[in-house]
Amino acid sequence: MLTTLGDLLRYNIEFRIGAILVGLVAVMAGLSLASPYSPMDTFLVAPDLPPTLTHPFGTTSRGQDVFWHLTFAIRNTLAFGIVVALLSRLLSLAIGLLSGYKGGWVDRLLMSINDTFIVIPLFPILVLFYFMLRDRMSWWVLAVIMALLGWAYDARLIRSVALSLKHREFTHTGIFSGMSTREILVREHLPYVMPIVFATTMNNMNWSIGLEVTLSVLGFTDISAPTIGGMIYWANQHTALVAGVWWWIAFPVILIVMLFVGLFLLAVSMNEHIDPRSRLRRMGAGGA
Amino acid sequence: MESRAPLDCDRAARTRQQAEVALCVEDLKAYYRTRHFGVEREVKAVDGVSFEVRCNEIYGLAGESSSGKSTLIKAVAAAMRPPLEIVGGRATFRFLPGARSLNQATASQLAAIRWRKLSYIMQGSMSVLNPVRRVRCSFADFASRHLGGNKAAFQVRVRQHLELLKLDADVLDAYPHELSGGMRQRVTIALATICRPDFVIADEPTTALDVIVQKDVLDMVRDIQGEMGSSLLLVTHDLGVHAYMAHRLAVMYGGRLVEEARTPELFSSPQHPYTKHLIASLPRIGVDAPRIGLAGSPPNLAAPPSGCRFHPRCPLAGDRCRREMPTMIAVAADHRVACFAVAGAGGTA
Amino acid sequence: MTAPLIELSHVSKTFGAAGGFSRRRVRAVSDVGFALPADVAEILTIVGRSGSGKTTLARMILGMESPTAGEIRLLGKDVAQMHGARDRKAFIATVQPIFQNPFEAFNPLRRLDEYLFLTARRFGGAADRRQAQAGADAALRQVGLSLAEVAGRYPHELSGGQLQRTAIARALLARPKLLVADEPVSMVDASLRMSIVNLFMTLRDELAISIIYITHDLATAYHISNRIIILREGRVVESGDARTVLVRPQHPYSRQLKEAVLVPRFPGPSSSESESPA
Repeated sequence: MLTTLGDLLRYNIEFRIGAILVGLVAVMAGLSLASPYSPMDTFLVAPDLPPTLTHPFGTTSRGQDVFWHLTFAIRNTLAFGIVVALLSRLLSLAIGLLSGYKGGWVDRLLMSINDTFIVIPLFPILVLFYFMLRDRMSWWVLAVIMALLGWAYDARLIRSVALSLKHREFTHTGIFSGMSTREILVREHLPYVMPIVFATTMNNMNWSIGLEVTLSVLGFTDISAPTIGGMIYWANQHTALVAGVWWWIAFPVILIVMLFVGLFLLAVSMNEHIDPRSRLRRMGAGGA
Repeated sequence: MESRAPLDCDRAARTRQQAEVALCVEDLKAYYRTRHFGVEREVKAVDGVSFEVRCNEIYGLAGESSSGKSTLIKAVAAAMRPPLEIVGGRATFRFLPGARSLNQATASQLAAIRWRKLSYIMQGSMSVLNPVRRVRCSFADFASRHLGGNKAAFQVRVRQHLELLKLDADVLDAYPHELSGGMRQRVTIALATICRPDFVIADEPTTALDVIVQKDVLDMVRDIQGEMGSSLLLVTHDLGVHAYMAHRLAVMYGGRLVEEARTPELFSSPQHPYTKHLIASLPRIGVDAPRIGLAGSPPNLAAPPSGCRFHPRCPLAGDRCRREMPTMIAVAADHRVACFAVAGAGGTA
Repeated sequence: MTAPLIELSHVSKTFGAAGGFSRRRVRAVSDVGFALPADVAEILTIVGRSGSGKTTLARMILGMESPTAGEIRLLGKDVAQMHGARDRKAFIATVQPIFQNPFEAFNPLRRLDEYLFLTARRFGGAADRRQAQAGADAALRQVGLSLAEVAGRYPHELSGGQLQRTAIARALLARPKLLVADEPVSMVDASLRMSIVNLFMTLRDELAISIIYITHDLATAYHISNRIIILREGRVVESGDARTVLVRPQHPYSRQLKEAVLVPRFPGPSSSESESPA
């Protein structure tokens, strides 16, 4: 595993750039542990100060240091994205693999549920949940809800790979070697499905973070916990751009763009590496 | 067992014409060079192959997996894509005398040659026929691209050609998937030969077909070759097909030729240990003697054995075989062998 | 009188063409019947062209499809009724497959020895890894390989012949009574083919394993079979003792098949026939 990462770093420029970008964002998130200010307090420092040496990213109209507040914001946003991605990957893998392999009524049932979820319009549903849950809408709850809504599309992708794998002869060899269904899905089929899982994880993170930012900007989330969207929300509330406090909006946006681009580049470069066909080519197999 | 006598037709006329060489391959080397994440691999798929295909002759090329025969065709017919590169040697066609190989020809030269001077019959017939259009349209596309001339004249020509090949004219109205595999292959052959090319390359043309259809298709190919007087380079692993079709036959192993002779002579007195073993291991109905397979495995062309590629599996391997690579030397008229253990081929045995 | 090892009676398989409104049905197999005795090992060859139904028949015997009509009985028990986990396990311990494509028989991304060890643990009675390794080595030696050659290797590192032999070794680890080999050597090099075909004879003679050998190659069928069945469009056209049927076929279709086999003609009558390999 480490050798592959080393190879990628050395030879793949996209991976390198992506790793640097995501690395910077992760460092920012990690710095939150060293923050001298608590994220929830306001009016700790002089408001509306432009970027200086003491306040590298300036201060907000609410008297918070933008830099240190941003570390908390990015940490929460990142954690949110990871949780949603993990939960929804698990769901789509389980449902997609099982549905593709079993076929028959299991497949039909799961795919009807799947298609229902694909069709659901996400944004109105999320707003509805906000209005229903109001005070209890912490970002954990939002993460779970989004995970439950975000598995459907990828489950179908995984299912189509599983369908083709079902008919390959090594699946039958596995059956005749005594493998149970679970073992076949995990040991034989999962490696072929991993490229899709990986690519969709990055997309999923981009999607969930983007949606969370949108909701926060509109005020539909728990605005006390600092997130990127929350910062932008408050900046809008204080009409920061009109007041000339551009650093309040610019730095969160720059950071989130870095994260998106970095994740995308990582996904693209790792995908080529994980794809079974290119793995086989590297090992030396597959048609001379 | 009945079979048509393949070789006793007008010998004299053929010998006259055969003196001309349609394809001359000299010391051709084609390697796959790949580079993934800093790991360089060089697979010596074709490593110094020399032979000639004469006019009006069926030349068979036999070989198993990792013999390099598929790569050889790609190199000769300019169907190469990286990572496959020609590293040395030449493959010259009679109809394009200037070029060292077809890979050097310009795009317009290639367009003029394809299907008119050089055509292919491949294993997967579906790759030539458009699956969503009727067969008739595939023929019509040909006319516009390769022949020019007016439509009506071309239609007549198509029908005449089909008649020659004993194909029913209503095959033109069918879609490819409606035809059986054998029928599709026959249509592909019709397409490949309608421009009466000088040289035809057939790569495993009947491997996907079953025995009865295979015989019909091979009969068709042979008839049309005789009628057109063109050269046919027939590549397949099936020795039975070679015995039925080829005038001369060469055996490839590990990227090199090991033996080449006229077909009856190759089967009656093979010289190279590999050829001998291959022929002796063929089971036959009515013959109860035990058959033995060859020990060992085909060579790994990325790290081939030193010296003669066959020596790890050869019962006659000696010291010299491990150090030096044997070259093709004539041991009789029109019979070449590359082996140190064969008398008259550079060996002392 | 013991039940036969495997018995097919009036087995048919019809596939409905796709689409609910289509009434086209494809009869892949029609009214096929034969039996293999349990006390004597035999090689039964099923010969036919592509589309003759031989692969469908193989899949039905292996339990991967169920017949539309007729019965397949394994040691007296109806295969179509074997649903539970224990029945399936008993079935797998009795019948093992050998597939046509040796390069597809194993997952290209996994090591070969894992399949061997798994079969040894699940069916071969191996209790731990050491016993599994010993069992795998013994099985590989029976097919002419050894664990040292195969351990830690991926499928692409071996030749087609070696892979097919590994597949046979894996099947042997389950200690089956019946092997169903569907075109096992058609994708193997000609020079390696005979060693695998001869291996089937050894399995029959020394390990008393019966083999259903499905092929289109009449010559190898002649070489190793006890009995032969010739299929055409899903029906049996001729069956009987292999050598008799192949040397003097009665049915016109069988004769047509035999005449289509391309055999090199050797000048000189008997010298080439008895020629021993170099």
